[in-house]
Order: sequence, then C-alpha cells, then structure tokens
Amino acid sequence: MLASRAFSLVGKRAISTSVCLRAHGHAGVVKAEDFSLPAYVDRRDVPLPEVAFVRDLSAQQKALKEKEKASWTALSVDEKVELYRIKFNESYAEMNKGTNEWKTVLGGVLFFLGVTGLILIWQKHFMYGAIPHTFSDEWVSAQTKRMLDMRMNPVEGISAQWDFEKNEWKK
Amino acid sequence: ARGVQHTAVRRAHRKHEPDFHDKYGNLVLLGGAAVFTTVWGYVFTQLGMEWGLSPVGRITPKEWRE
Repeated sequence: MLASRAFSLVGKRAISTSVCLRAHGHAGVVKAEDFSLPAYVDRRDVPLPEVAFVRDLSAQQKALKEKEKASWTALSVDEKVELYRIKFNESYAEMNKGTNEWKTVLGGVLFFLGVTGLILIWQKHFMYGAIPHTFSDEWVSAQTKRMLDMRMNPVEGISAQWDFEKNEWKK
Repeated sequence: ARGVQHTAVRRAHRKHEPDFHDKYGNLVLLGGAAVFTTVWGYVFTQLGMEWGLSPVGRITPKEWRE
C-alpha cells in the first residue's frame, strides 16, 4: 500500500529524485545490511522468529519446500524433520539444555583464589619480619589472665566469656 | 502420531560436539579445588602466620604476677 502511494507521488512529481529512484527499485540504492533485516533468534520467549533459520535453500531443500505445498501426509518423517530444521535452528529442548560451564567457572575461581594464597606465602617469606614476642603462647596466657583479673569487658566481652566460679571458659 | 514424531526427533537429533566445558570441565574443577586446598592448607597450618585468633576457648590463663 505504501508502494502504491509512493508511485502516485511519482506521477505527481511531488517528490525528490532520490525518492524516485527508491520507488523504481535498484539503481543507486545501498543494499540493506544484514543487521537491518529481520533476524532469526533462538529464544524461549520467541517461539516463532521473524524469519526462517535457513535463508538460502539448496536445490534439494527447494524441492522439499515444493512438496510441502501438497498434502502433508505424503511427507516422510525425515522430510518433516528436515522442514523443521530449515525453519528452526535449535529445538526448545536443545535451547534449554544446561551446560557444564559452571565447572569451568568454579574451577577457575578456586584456582585464582589459590594464587592469592601463594601471594600470602610470598609475603610471609620475603616481607614480614619476626612476630612480636607478645604473641607467644606464654605471653598470651599471662595476658589473658591479667585481662580477666581486671574484669575487662565484663558485659559482652572477654570477662563475660569466662566462668569465674569454675575457673574455665563458659560453654 | 505424536509418539512417532517424538522418536523421530530423538533419532534425527543433531550430534552436539562437546564444548570446552564438556571436555575439560571436570578437570578444571578438580584441579582448581586441589590447588586451592593445597595452598590454603599450607597457609593456615604450616606457614606460621599470626592469625590473631581469640583466646576464648583456646588459651589457658596463666599467672602473670611476679
């Protein structure tokens, strides 16, 4: 309908030359790029894509398409499947099929976390100095008793965790 | 008829070549887990880092007064 409107305008000479050319067809017009044309897509929410999957049919496929115009009971099962595969790329089952990608992802993540551990090893070996003596078990034991004797943080902290009657950590 | 078609689809099912994840996924997963456990097992136990763990439940208080 739009084309006939355009043609009527051509008769009235009410339009520019470039539109004239477009109305006539091919001369001097840029070919439409693939990405600007309706595209096929495998998506769960698009059950009938705008175009068939196979665009350029082989001679065999063209013959099959002709046969499709007749009664469908004449088609064999293989021919039906071939017609399906012309129209669609993946079936829903194929589309929805899960992959094993998670294994690669998780394995890769764990590997690089391991590399992080290697960095820590390097730091300990080459960078950190000796640990201060106040971290030795002996010192920390004495330090802890002193903190408890002073009743440090008695409400929710360390003294609250110690049972002063039984002389042991609260369970 | 639907039964026949179902069988037909299965029969005519295009072979899907295994992709990288099918071929190496298990290897990558186990290899990564192995590297992770080895390295961090060493870091946590053998390296001698001071992790600053809480004394609660761990340290037995000792007399400090001289």
